[in-house]
Amino acid sequence: MPGQERLKNEIIDGGLCSACGLCVGLCPYIKTRRDRVRVIYPCGLQEGTCYSVCPKTGLDVGEMDRAVFGREREDQALGVLQGIYFARAAGDKAPGAQYGGVTTALAALALRQGLISGAVLTGGEADNPHPALARTAGEVYACAGSKYVGVPTLAELNRALRDGLTGLGVVGRPCQVAAVRKMQQGNLPGAQFNVPGAVELVLGLFCFASLTPDFYSFLSGQVQGEKVIKMDIPEDGPVVETSAGSYRWSMDDLRPYIHKACNLCLDPTSEWADIAVGATEYDRAWNTLVVRSDRGRDLLNLALDKGVIEIKEYPPQRLPVLRRATLNKKMRVLADAEYQEGRPGCPVVPLEYRRQIEEQWGGVSQ
Amino acid sequence: MTIMGVCKEQPGVRVALTGNESIARGALEAGVAYAASYPGSPTAEVLGTLAKVAGEFNLYVEWSVNEKVAMEGAAAASFTGLRSLVVMKADGLNVALDFASALALSGTRGGMVIVVGDDPSSHSSVREEDSRNLCKALHLPIWEPSSVQEAKDMTRAAFDLSEQLKLPVVVRCVTRVCHASGDVELGELTRPERRPVFGRDDRVITFSIQLHAQLEQKLSRAAAEASDSFFNGYSGPANARRLVIASGPSAMYALEALDMLGLAGGVGVLKLGTTWPLPETLLLNYLKNASEVVFAEEVEPFVEDNVMALAAGHWNELGSIKFYGKRSGHVAGPAGAGIGELDPDVLAGSLAKIFDVPWAGQTMLTSREAEELLGEKMPGRELALCAGCPHRASFWAIRTALELDGREGVVLGDIGCYTLGIVRTGYYLLQTMHCMGAGVGIAGGLGKLNRFGFNKPVITVVGDSTFYHAAVPALINARYNRANFMCVVLDNETTAMTGHQPHPGRQTTATGGPADTVYMEEIIRGLNIPYAISDPYDVDATINAVCDMLQLSGPRVLILRRTCALAAVKGKEKNRVYVDWDKCIGDDCGCGRFCSKVFACPANIWDAEHGKARIDEAVCNGCGVCATLCPQQAIVVERTVE
Repeated sequence: MPGQERLKNEIIDGGLCSACGLCVGLCPYIKTRRDRVRVIYPCGLQEGTCYSVCPKTGLDVGEMDRAVFGREREDQALGVLQGIYFARAAGDKAPGAQYGGVTTALAALALRQGLISGAVLTGGEADNPHPALARTAGEVYACAGSKYVGVPTLAELNRALRDGLTGLGVVGRPCQVAAVRKMQQGNLPGAQFNVPGAVELVLGLFCFASLTPDFYSFLSGQVQGEKVIKMDIPEDGPVVETSAGSYRWSMDDLRPYIHKACNLCLDPTSEWADIAVGATEYDRAWNTLVVRSDRGRDLLNLALDKGVIEIKEYPPQRLPVLRRATLNKKMRVLADAEYQEGRPGCPVVPLEYRRQIEEQWGGVSQ
Repeated sequence: MTIMGVCKEQPGVRVALTGNESIARGALEAGVAYAASYPGSPTAEVLGTLAKVAGEFNLYVEWSVNEKVAMEGAAAASFTGLRSLVVMKADGLNVALDFASALALSGTRGGMVIVVGDDPSSHSSVREEDSRNLCKALHLPIWEPSSVQEAKDMTRAAFDLSEQLKLPVVVRCVTRVCHASGDVELGELTRPERRPVFGRDDRVITFSIQLHAQLEQKLSRAAAEASDSFFNGYSGPANARRLVIASGPSAMYALEALDMLGLAGGVGVLKLGTTWPLPETLLLNYLKNASEVVFAEEVEPFVEDNVMALAAGHWNELGSIKFYGKRSGHVAGPAGAGIGELDPDVLAGSLAKIFDVPWAGQTMLTSREAEELLGEKMPGRELALCAGCPHRASFWAIRTALELDGREGVVLGDIGCYTLGIVRTGYYLLQTMHCMGAGVGIAGGLGKLNRFGFNKPVITVVGDSTFYHAAVPALINARYNRANFMCVVLDNETTAMTGHQPHPGRQTTATGGPADTVYMEEIIRGLNIPYAISDPYDVDATINAVCDMLQLSGPRVLILRRTCALAAVKGKEKNRVYVDWDKCIGDDCGCGRFCSKVFACPANIWDAEHGKARIDEAVCNGCGVCATLCPQQAIVVERTVE
């Protein structure tokens, strides 16, 4: 397995880094500043954990399915799943939480119940997010709300592991979920990174693209010093609420700030998470919740038992809409001139998967 | 011990002094009243020595903000009839040049001696400048001591000549004389007893073409006296046909080399102490018998060119002479003619070729031979910042910040310990390096090129002493013209490179008395330039400070303040630092020998046998910065010092 030099040349300098953060803090040579990940000095080693765990290198979708779930997927739109629901936090939804507040509620529950020792997630505001390690439910609540710039949150996971913590939970974007799963597969060049039981729970977020840190200067130019309270990117375009009002743009305004890596990403729904959570694009009071692993199923049952969240059937008429969106994304990537299977930033899709994607995509109306 | 020697009353007694102490003693014997300098190697210790005895001799001794101001102050004392001394290295003469050229014309009253330290082979300089060509252009007499004894005797006599000519006299002293120790026979001390006089009608003005004529007359008088000077001497056969003309320590080397070659009886050595103006009568007297003349001097062919010009003017009185030296390529060290120091070996090799005698190589143990012999047995020492040097942490932080910034920012520098930013110890960070404060002026220029499409961030680093010496006018210029760059003051709270002399930002003067401290923050505030202060030992905070400031535009200053590691631990107990081998992962992914290979403080060493990092406790100054950077937190600091 190659190391830092290729990570720098192929991924970081190649503009393919989505700032997941898992290579940050493994060593003294990769650092972040305002969500930009940089190699600051060549370590000189031929093999590196940084390259091994990078979600943009050597990712085979089929292998990953087998490694995480022990089986391949049937549903090319949504990946391996045991169930899909509308869900929302019951009772005290965290202030600032996006839509139904399900992610916050589940992470807080896992902490309260001792299923995890801490939750690595993204705190701060939309214009000033930062990686965070929440050790209490209250700290999870303080991090509620979606952020749209790619924050290298997993740097915090490395820090927590180095401080001796294990049994951690992670809330992350699909690339971050993939990175954590790669890490869990072990066999990393640095012996100290092969920690059994490092991560016990992975809550994935839906993500069709994340923004580069350049978005901050766009945003501050737009809001002119007003305090940013919340950001959202619903179907009708990005919107930011500030202390003085709200700003709305078209998606085209944000397109220059989208990570190039995201244009080559085949996973908008955190396909290797235990539970994946996203918007419904239908009812702002609810989230979409996808149960993928047995561990995810157990957590959902516990959450229902404890009355932390409530769920209802995914509206049958909405399912094709979601499937169409995810398959469109995959087809766009596979047709992208920059996409060449196996190249840096381009996941390998097994032939059978690819055939199924086209088949299932062809089955929905354009 | 040597300060006692410098102060000893008994004339005729012999004491061991360094060349620099010997110069100081010479000034005391001459009754110097006022001495000023900006520290620079090889002459930094002259003023330090005088400062120590200032109280006893009732002298005024100051570290000046720069060499030009030092020379102006010393000139003022001379204008009132007092004897004054100004000391600088060759680079410093460049700084003082503007005033010096005017001073030569206006002339002086009390004896004024300018000691200039040249550094052949640039042992502790950025270049091996030969100041003699400049001094000649200034129309100042130049004397060159060849020994520690002569350093004293010449300094003392130079005051007399200066007073006689009403012109400053330059004593040009090279590193091997300044830093050598030798037996010095003392002369009589003179306590300064003159009262300064500057009457209503006194005028010292550089404003008349007549002054040029007067200056030439002064030099003619100096030339006339030079032929009888005690400092020029001849040894060898009468009417020698083969002659070596040498100046400074090269005269000693020539005698030694001839001895080594068995030519001592047949070749004459004419040692010139008064190298400018030339002692023409004396020279012509020896040239008229000579058919082969060899020049031995450091660095440029100064005596050589001037003597050849003299010979050309007297060709009809002289026989045919063959001249050997740098111009002919015959007198050359390993780096080439006119490059680097001479020594007896170099001269023996040159003379053997010229006079066609066998010469197998060295017969005496020279420094070069010693290096070759000891090479393998001596531990290698890289040109590096000291253990715990705050500049290393600063450079690492700046380097990291620039990588994180991602705009390929450029870093400029200039003269000081931080000059080592040009080599590995400073991560090869510096891209320009010229003279005191030049980085700030160059940064100002780069910071105005955005209209031509140059948009990289520009950082220039400058030391605290250099800040006062030469950076302030460039900052004024930057503020006035809105240049876009960031000046990082690497403030180690002393003039570290030359031996921890105080500067205007310190609380004490050269003689240890209380100073009116000039805080750099007040200057920067006065220029309306935004600034921040960070402790370079807090590397993360410093990285953030650099990154934040890189986002600003216009001139701005970041002060990275932390006392020089050597000054901080002097006479104190140090923190003990060690590596916990259970935690150290050495070569593995996740570290890759970060402390010893990358951060590369000399105290961070590698134990190859165990494959683990270690701390060289003899070298470590206990700063603990490596402990904050170790990815495994394997470095432990036992705090005895806060």
